[in-house]
Formats: sequence, C-alpha cells, structure tokens
Amino acid sequence: MLRASSLLPSACEKSVSYSPPDPGAFIDRVAADPCCAAITAEEGIDEALESRAPVLFILRGNGLALAHLVRRIHAADKLVAVHVDLVGGLHADRASVDWLARAGVDAVISSHGQLMAAIRHGGMTAIHRLLLARRSHLDTAVAAIGRSAPNIIEILPGVILPSVAAMMPRFDVPVLAGGFVRTPDDVQAILAAGALGVTTSTRALWGTSSG
Amino acid sequence: MAEPAERPRLPSILVASDGHHAVHAPPGVDAGVLIRDTDLATLVHRAGSDCPPDAVDIDSVAGLGSDDHAVDFVTGRLAIPIVLTRRPQLAARAAERGHVGLLHVFAYDSTGMARSLEGHPRCEGVGSVVTPGLVILHLREDELAEIPKPILTYGLIDTVEDARACLAVADAIVVRPVLAAKLVAALVGADAVR
Repeated sequence: MLRASSLLPSACEKSVSYSPPDPGAFIDRVAADPCCAAITAEEGIDEALESRAPVLFILRGNGLALAHLVRRIHAADKLVAVHVDLVGGLHADRASVDWLARAGVDAVISSHGQLMAAIRHGGMTAIHRLLLARRSHLDTAVAAIGRSAPNIIEILPGVILPSVAAMMPRFDVPVLAGGFVRTPDDVQAILAAGALGVTTSTRALWGTSSG
Repeated sequence: MAEPAERPRLPSILVASDGHHAVHAPPGVDAGVLIRDTDLATLVHRAGSDCPPDAVDIDSVAGLGSDDHAVDFVTGRLAIPIVLTRRPQLAARAAERGHVGLLHVFAYDSTGMARSLEGHPRCEGVGSVVTPGLVILHLREDELAEIPKPILTYGLIDTVEDARACLAVADAIVVRPVLAAKLVAALVGADAVR
C-alpha cells in the first residue's frame, strides 16, 4: 500500500532541484518552435515526446497523478503546461496551483484571472485563456487580462484569429492560439496575425516550424 | 397561451439588440430581431412594442430565471417564438411548447465542442447556436453533420464577406445592426443583378 506522503508530487524524491524556466525563457522556447502539442495525460504522450514540439500542453487527464509524466517530459528536454481548469481531480484555486508547482510544472493555464498571481508566485509561467465569443465581450475580457497580468494569453478558437485580428486590442504580452488549428496554412496565418505560437492536437503539426 | 399551430421558422438573419433602442428587422430579406444582454423590464417593454423580437437569448436577461417558468413566460406571455439558451432543458422546453429552442454549442476547440454536443437534447424543435459563429467556416463536414439543425451562427461575424460565408454553411446568422444594413444592401444588390 502506498503511504499517503508518497502521493505528494515531490515527497518521494530524494532531491528535487527542478526550477521552471522564467517566463522569458519559456516564451523563447515557443518562439523557436511555435507549434506546441495539446494532449491529454493519457493520450498522445509518446508522439509528442518524439516530436519537435517544445511544450506539451496537458488539457485533460488526472491532475493528481502528473508528477511521473512531468518527469518524462522534462527528460525529453521539453516543457509542460497544465490547464488547471480542465484536468481532473483539481479545483482551480491557489492550492491546486501550488500542487502543480510541486509537480514540477512549468506553466499553468486558466481562464480564472485571479489565479495568475499565484501561478507567477509559484515560479511558473502564467497563461490566461481567453475565449473569443462575441465582439461585445472583448472589452470585458481585455479589462480582466489587464488586471490579471499574465505572462502569455492563449486565445481560443485560434483558427479565427487571422479573421478577428483587426478587432483585437493590442496586448502587452505574447499570444498563443489554440482550437481547430489543423493545417500548416492555419499555422502560418495565425503566426502572420502576430501570435507567438499555436497549441494543437493535430499531431502532424507538432514541431512545425514557422518558416 | 395555446401552443402555435405550426412551429415557427428561424429567420436567416437575426439582428442583435439589447432592447434599449428600437431595432427593426430590415425589409426585403428573411430577417428578424434577437434581443440579448438586457433586463426583464426592457424585454417586456420591447415585446409589447411595434417591433417585438423574434428571438431572445434567455440566459442573458437580467432578472429572468433559468427554468421552465421563464421559458413559458417568454414564449407564452411575451410571444417570442425562438429561445436561445445554454441550458439543454430550457431549449427542450421551448420545443415542447411548439416553439424553437436553440442550444449554445461552444466551439472553442474540437474537444470542447464534442463535450458541448453531448448534452444536446437532439429532439425535434431544438437546434443549435454555434458560438463563436465565425468558427463554422473551419469545421469539417463530419463535425457539421453532428450539429443538430437548424444552426444559428452567433459571434464575431463582422464583415459582409464573413456573413455571407456563414450563411452558406448555416441556416442563420446573428449580426449587429450596422452589419445587417450592409449585408442587406449586398444581398438585395446581388438579387437585383440577377
């Protein structure tokens, strides 16, 4: 039987010395290889690890059993971002952010702006997810992002970013685009619209270069 | 109030309004008015005016509950035949009463859209609101086939070209009044050329 203490992300490690990269270094990794892999904790891992994708975005799966997966990702010289609102077993709050920090996660994504400070405080890159629904919601969303001060904004659905770029405000931080990004043309159009990179579950695109 | 003898039709173009100013459906095309982001008193006032709405986004009306009583009120007392909602049971209730219920299908990514569709009642009289509407231009045939009809596309449709493209895929679109005028001019102009 497992002892309860061994379930803690770092408790069974003799020495945990991992420190996430600072947000600038995280952004540089994405800029160099802008197609990031969107995966679940159970599917797509092996292919993502073998791809050129610099960052693996974990959008589903068991958030309480991530430590081993995080170590595998780091061993492959990749970074890992976890969507705290979507993974199972976690409630999106400061305690779950602390849990992910203990697991060695490099970046945390959330639609909850109030978590951005906790993510940054945990030494991780804070990614604020912005859902594009209606033009009339944009002002509210931009105000929320101004308050939350994330390191990166992730916009969904990313595939329409080129069409709506003209109505988008200028953000002071880099933008990632995810959602229905399926072809190299989609990627090129999104990058041309000013995005830092894309997150996609289309495996053929993982690690696609911007050139 | 009695149920309608025949289920209402969804107009091809719904002009969005918050109800604070009178918005009329443009003449000469298959159009109506959607009221949203308003409050209960304004909704009641607009329903009794000379330009009553054809549709209401019921979840965005401050003061209105999210239950069967609310659906019965807007479809019965206010005689608004089309109800948009993110709650499957409310869309089904509108359909049960002989009206049209349109359930929001949130299409931010493929996984999320699939989850959104899992809760769809898939019964007669309940269609779908694809949100944001512009994304419909990027859905595959098999994804489109999974979305119960009629399909209304709603959100971020900002140009005449986008509006026409969405109309070619969906049954109806939601546009702001300023775009509605441009779109109608374009559509009527095209018909005149023919």
